[in-house]
Amino acid sequence: MKETDYLRNEHHEFMAASDTALANPELQVILGRLGDSLGAKNQEAWAEFAEHDLVRERARAIKDETLSNLHEHLATLEASVLRRGGHVHWAGTGEEARQFILDIIEKRGATRVVKSKSMTSEEIHLNKTLEQAGIQVVETDFGEYIIQVAGHRPSHIVGPALHLSKSQVTEILSKAAGEPLPNDREALAAFARRTLRSSFAEADVGITGVNYAIAETGSIVLVENEGNVRLTTGLPKTHIAVMGIEKVIPRLADLPYFLKILARAATGQKMSCYTSLITGARQEDEIDGPDEFHLIILDNGRSRILSGPLRESLFCIRCGACLNACPIYRTVGGHAYGGVYTGPIGAVLTPLYDGLPLNHDLPHASSLCGACQTACPVKIQIPQMLVNLRTQLTEVPGQVGRGEALSYRVWARMLRSPWWYGCATWLATRTIGRWCRKTGWLHRLPGKLHGWTKTRDFPAPAPERFRDWWHSNDAGESPTDARPVAAQERSP
Amino acid sequence: MNRDDFLAGVEEAAVAGRAHRVKTRDLPDTVGYVDCGDDRCAALAAEVEAVGGEKHLVANDAQARDTLAKLLAEIKPAVAFCWQHPLLDRLRVTETLRSHNIACHDFDSLAGLDDHARRAAMLSSDVGISSVDYAVAETGSLVVCSKPGQERMVSLLPPVHVALIDEAQIVPDLYDLFERLQENDSPALPSNVAFISGPSKTGDIELQLTTGVHGPGRWIVVIIRG
Repeated sequence: MKETDYLRNEHHEFMAASDTALANPELQVILGRLGDSLGAKNQEAWAEFAEHDLVRERARAIKDETLSNLHEHLATLEASVLRRGGHVHWAGTGEEARQFILDIIEKRGATRVVKSKSMTSEEIHLNKTLEQAGIQVVETDFGEYIIQVAGHRPSHIVGPALHLSKSQVTEILSKAAGEPLPNDREALAAFARRTLRSSFAEADVGITGVNYAIAETGSIVLVENEGNVRLTTGLPKTHIAVMGIEKVIPRLADLPYFLKILARAATGQKMSCYTSLITGARQEDEIDGPDEFHLIILDNGRSRILSGPLRESLFCIRCGACLNACPIYRTVGGHAYGGVYTGPIGAVLTPLYDGLPLNHDLPHASSLCGACQTACPVKIQIPQMLVNLRTQLTEVPGQVGRGEALSYRVWARMLRSPWWYGCATWLATRTIGRWCRKTGWLHRLPGKLHGWTKTRDFPAPAPERFRDWWHSNDAGESPTDARPVAAQERSP
Repeated sequence: MNRDDFLAGVEEAAVAGRAHRVKTRDLPDTVGYVDCGDDRCAALAAEVEAVGGEKHLVANDAQARDTLAKLLAEIKPAVAFCWQHPLLDRLRVTETLRSHNIACHDFDSLAGLDDHARRAAMLSSDVGISSVDYAVAETGSLVVCSKPGQERMVSLLPPVHVALIDEAQIVPDLYDLFERLQENDSPALPSNVAFISGPSKTGDIELQLTTGVHGPGRWIVVIIRG
């Protein structure tokens, strides 16, 4: 595999891609800043908003309530969209959704499409289909535009080009411009603005995702900072919006709870620069806005998830806060995860959408520290879901080797009986504990355990069992620890 | 996929999924309400500034006219793209534009053009001048509803957007706004309601703030105390 392939490939091994990411110093600098920028801004935003916890709880309750009657809310949404002259298409799979979109575009004889950032359209790999049909598709979000020109996949839910440094962006856009551009953010943004304005001036169709769909009014809500969503939904004659079934909320009055938490979680803003509440196509006398509105409602495996224990993953509002909080994401970056959705929530969603055996490393791509759940605006219990997936993995044939299965059985047997536990700890302290008495650390472990000691030491057992120490000392006396306290980390 | 089969599948899953509902609390509707104090104008002005906008807090219509004239003298636009709105009429904006020799696109001048010519005219404007339907003090958001005379592109296509606001249009919190939308506009919501909270921004290069990438890079809000 070429070194940059994992920026483009739709699937690859997490471990191999992580090694590549770790060996990339430029990427490590960028990822290193993530926690201090977006992560810190998110925490500040919560700190400044006194009742954030209760609003998040309220939003969570709305999601839970909505999902338990999802079919009714989707039917209401359909009726409301139709009432306002829109069209609704029900897509069971990504393939069906792509076909609906292609049909709409081709029926109008359209050849030029502008798109705003949409994770759902990434999920169904829409661009490839449209391009193969000879349709020109232009991504208009600045970050998406950069990676479209580069041929990369998005690496972050909110900042798709986050893996690129300024000089890399300059290089990419200079190629597109056919002339060297200055290595300056404003100049690069100005180039994108100019180029994309001409795409907007000509586009026949605009395609967007959906942040929320309001059943009672038939509206869709789109949240952004740049203005490209408003242009995409305002200038072309036809607007196509793609949503997963979980995006619906029942009432207009439910929306402010989500608006109060989404931007705070994503970027630390109170509100993103532009929030659009779009209800159907333009009204009769209006002179801007599209003539037609199409809503594609996509299942693509979601109803399967809805019926099971990982149903809560459908609460996700795609803010990216769990990515910014995650020590694993901040070390390996988004591409390592292989799927469209990255970070902790991606480690849950990708196995659910694309299959667990193919993505067997992802449930383990977490230290279960819980930072993701703390950051999540709707408090999704991501660690518990990862543990659930790990449990499911043990039932996948070929996932757990005989040796591993046997050692876990022995381990479990030992922990179930005080006598066996006593024997095992006696043996460990008399052997490894005493051999490593001086340093208290193991530098190398055998077999699969080598994965741990490749980059850090492992604490050795104490030279004396706690129960022995307890019996040979008075209970009131404070314990003295023979082990050196400081953690010994080796750089890889 | 057949609509009824699709919904039947979702229904089956939704019912089965009820076994995995999460624990939630009953909370009052007003949870998270932000009280912005007695002076809504000052609260809005402070938020406008905090999100990177320029605020002008004025005491009456005469001062507002004066402020707009000074802004136009500084921006020096050739073409303005304007709403047709009672507040703009009250402030005699058309007159001010004429006295500065600034051409003006609005609903009346654009309605007769074909789609292509209209798009080109909108794209060539240097400044957009609008009022708002509502403004939210809590978040510094201007809320603009589309209808003939209130074109959505006025606040979006030109590099500068000037919004003229009357104190009566300001609500304290997002919840108040949605109550108003519910009372005044729902069930027939306008086709497009945009909440604008700052100049166009992106953080797509190294998470550093860059303004004016698609929408206006300069966002000016004139607030008239009632």
